[in-house]
Amino acid sequence: MKAEMKVVPSRPVIQAEPERKPAIAMIEIDRVSQVFQTSARRDHLALSDISLTIGDGAFVAILGPSGCGKSTLLYIVGGFVKPTTGVARVKGNAITGPGPDRGPVFQEFALFPWKSVLGNVMYGPRQQGVRREEAEAQSRRLIEMVGLKGFEHFYPKELSGGMKQRVALARTLAYHPSVLLMDEPFGALDAHTRTRLQNDLLNIWERDRKTVLFVTHSVEEAVFLSDRVVVMTRSPGRIKEIVDIDLPRPRRRAELLLDPRYQKYVVDIERLIDDTGEEELRP
Amino acid sequence: MMTARTLLSRSAPLLACLGLLAIWQVAALILNTDSFPTALQAIRAIPSILGDKESLINILASLRRMAVGFGVAILVSIPLGLMMGRSRNVAAFFNPLLMITYPVPKAALMPIIMLWLGVGDVAKMLVIFLGVSLPVIYHSFQGAKAVEEKMLWSGAAMGLSAAQRMVRIVLPAALPEILAGCRTGLVLALITMITSEMIARQSGAGNILFNALDMGQYDTVFAMIIIVGAMGIGLDAAFERLRGRLVRWSEPRFDMPLSFA
Repeated sequence: MKAEMKVVPSRPVIQAEPERKPAIAMIEIDRVSQVFQTSARRDHLALSDISLTIGDGAFVAILGPSGCGKSTLLYIVGGFVKPTTGVARVKGNAITGPGPDRGPVFQEFALFPWKSVLGNVMYGPRQQGVRREEAEAQSRRLIEMVGLKGFEHFYPKELSGGMKQRVALARTLAYHPSVLLMDEPFGALDAHTRTRLQNDLLNIWERDRKTVLFVTHSVEEAVFLSDRVVVMTRSPGRIKEIVDIDLPRPRRRAELLLDPRYQKYVVDIERLIDDTGEEELRP
Repeated sequence: MMTARTLLSRSAPLLACLGLLAIWQVAALILNTDSFPTALQAIRAIPSILGDKESLINILASLRRMAVGFGVAILVSIPLGLMMGRSRNVAAFFNPLLMITYPVPKAALMPIIMLWLGVGDVAKMLVIFLGVSLPVIYHSFQGAKAVEEKMLWSGAAMGLSAAQRMVRIVLPAALPEILAGCRTGLVLALITMITSEMIARQSGAGNILFNALDMGQYDTVFAMIIIVGAMGIGLDAAFERLRGRLVRWSEPRFDMPLSFA
């Protein structure tokens, strides 16, 4: 196993498919700022002048304390929130609203409770006009892939948090978005479940290497999963630093946790986040 | 296999009915006045009412008015409530109106409505409509307001338009709450039906009841109370069955969520 741990480039998609054009910018965030009106009618600058380019097939984590606007940034890319100034683009086109090219996975799961597991996963393909039989076969495969074979006809209420998030992931993958937008997807889960889902997400991701934007406040999670970690500070939300994570893939947790390079990334990034920023206090 | 316990819990409503009738019987025997017939006397009067063509036509006419008033109220109130729940402007416009009309007993409007629309079906159906619509609007409003934003975002990402999200996400997500409002509305429909017939006495179940009272036929009065009560219980039970089928997904199949990471 150790012998096979050759150093793989951090973004091998480009090398593996040389006929493809060199790294196109999947997402461009161009001088985006977001101002919210607080209840006291005061303007709150949630995001200040954010610029960020994310290449095709990259796994990028946005890391920061609560209230740094990292989720807002994700919602802007999703088209759910309009930036006050600036523009976000996907494949060169300005984002004006949500679309099936960007699939969200939320911390709150946001499953349709009146639909079974299968019904949830089939929803996207059916909406896109895929024939029922085809959508069902496809969805059953996805459900198996996320480890929920046998639970096709369960309702979300009958599932644990970890299972719900697996369904949510399958539901989003089912309509083949080019970008996965993950908004603290494992934030509501216990530590053990969280670890299992991180491992499974990496396994799934390594099959087709979609572009992933992954919002988290866990340094370990960010380093373990991603190619790049965007470290943000809050009030106002700004990019403090972008750290390239040059660790080999496929990543195995047991090996990585012992890897001094991994440990150094974690310590360095923790140092970047100033002490005051880590407080879980919202303004 | 039905255990003794499930048998007991299934037949609990029936036992409650029988208990009530027994208390009634004993109380009437003790009091022994003309205006309070015994339960048996009242029950014995039921077949003659239900066997009488005239009374049956009256009761069916009542039910028809109730069905129309209830149906129209639901068709209007659910969309209105859902729109109020999802649009601040719509809510801001209708909320004050509802707040004022909500506590007003709808039967109190009956004299004015009769003045404008006469004593016929339309006036009575309008009162039933008013009685039903407010709880249904209110519950639809609350249900739509509580729909998780992220659920709608998930739908939007799949390509659902605003109108599709309303019908295919807000409506089913709010359905348990909407049906809770409809259940209240159904009982209110029955109440306003009888009250409207008390005020505009021309036909209907309420009319039979009050005619019998005028003529001192107390066994008929109490028999009608039993009939109307049974109608209410029957309608409510039927509605609960329907509700149970429609929103089975909101009741957990297991007491505990399955442990599975």
